[in-house]
Amino acid sequence: MLTRAQVLDPLVQYRTDEIIVTTMGATRPWGRISDSDLDFASADSAMGHAADLALGIALARPDRTVLCLNGDGSMLMTLGTLATVVGSEATNYVLFVMDNGVFEITGHQSVAASGQIDYAAMAQAAGFQRVFFFEDARSYAEAVEDILTQPGPTCVHLLVEPGSEGPISRNDREKGRYLRTSLADWSRTFKAALETKDQKQT
Amino acid sequence: MTKILHTLVAAGITHVVGLPDNTSAPLFDALSDHLWIRLVTVTREGEAFAIASGLWLGGASPLVVIQNTGLLESGDSLRGTAARMGAPIPILITGRGYSKMKEARLKPSDLRERDLLTRGDVDSVALLTEPTLEVWGVPFERCEGEDDPSTVLARTIDSARSTERPTAVVMARGLT
Repeated sequence: MLTRAQVLDPLVQYRTDEIIVTTMGATRPWGRISDSDLDFASADSAMGHAADLALGIALARPDRTVLCLNGDGSMLMTLGTLATVVGSEATNYVLFVMDNGVFEITGHQSVAASGQIDYAAMAQAAGFQRVFFFEDARSYAEAVEDILTQPGPTCVHLLVEPGSEGPISRNDREKGRYLRTSLADWSRTFKAALETKDQKQT
Repeated sequence: MTKILHTLVAAGITHVVGLPDNTSAPLFDALSDHLWIRLVTVTREGEAFAIASGLWLGGASPLVVIQNTGLLESGDSLRGTAARMGAPIPILITGRGYSKMKEARLKPSDLRERDLLTRGDVDSVALLTEPTLEVWGVPFERCEGEDDPSTVLARTIDSARSTERPTAVVMARGLT
């Protein structure tokens, strides 16, 4: 089983211009180690809808890899998105399912069928091009660069230890910059950053 | 359907995201191999709002097309994505049950009491659609009778953009 840091630290190391969408238990830890305008917290937002929100970004921006750091509880709320991803033919989409078996944010209540679901197999059956399963840090760290750079859609199922993140708010006390403003304001920061980076590249 | 397609192209719509019903099926068919507008078919309507919001974040201009039954399924998604983000996303909602409501001489403003919601000759989704949009803070216009669907849809797209919020047209008639 991996710690959250063992999942996130290699992403910081290998990230170049990827867009990262976080939700629930990954939101604060990612905000502590990343300060990019291309981070988007699907927090104070719609339950379970980070994976499909990230798909929308991926479809709008086929030139960039979009990585969604989803949880198992959130994934279970929108399993149909696995089919929508495949139907959309997005190849620049990477979906992490960080499986800690609980709804951590709301108090560690057990998710349905906790510990019994093979998310990588589900994604593969839906038609994902690439799927991975990791339960140890070393094999995951060795694969991260490949995961981020090869065409997908890709699903990565990781067994992670439950953390101690409480309910997420948006205010000045949050460490992650993307949580220190409203969802509406950060949406415009994110859009502007994408447009600015486009202008720099042309 | 040609007129609707022209409206979408003229308005710069890049993606149509949704789930078809009998009324919207011709539009989905026409978009399946469209040159400029990409069709994204979802498995459940709540997905449509999250995907459309992501498309907008990425610089695209999506239109959501769903039936009113699917609107009722979409509450938290619409609230937590497009509405919370202030995303200018137009929504075309096809109106199941409006003809029955008209035949029964009822209207959306009628009190939604048990006897009305359980009547066999009335489709309760039509009774609940507009009150739900009002409560959720989604401005809308109903398109019915002799109204021109393309004109009303164009107005809805303009309104969503000028007010920077999801805005709907309830299509209580066919699209053509």
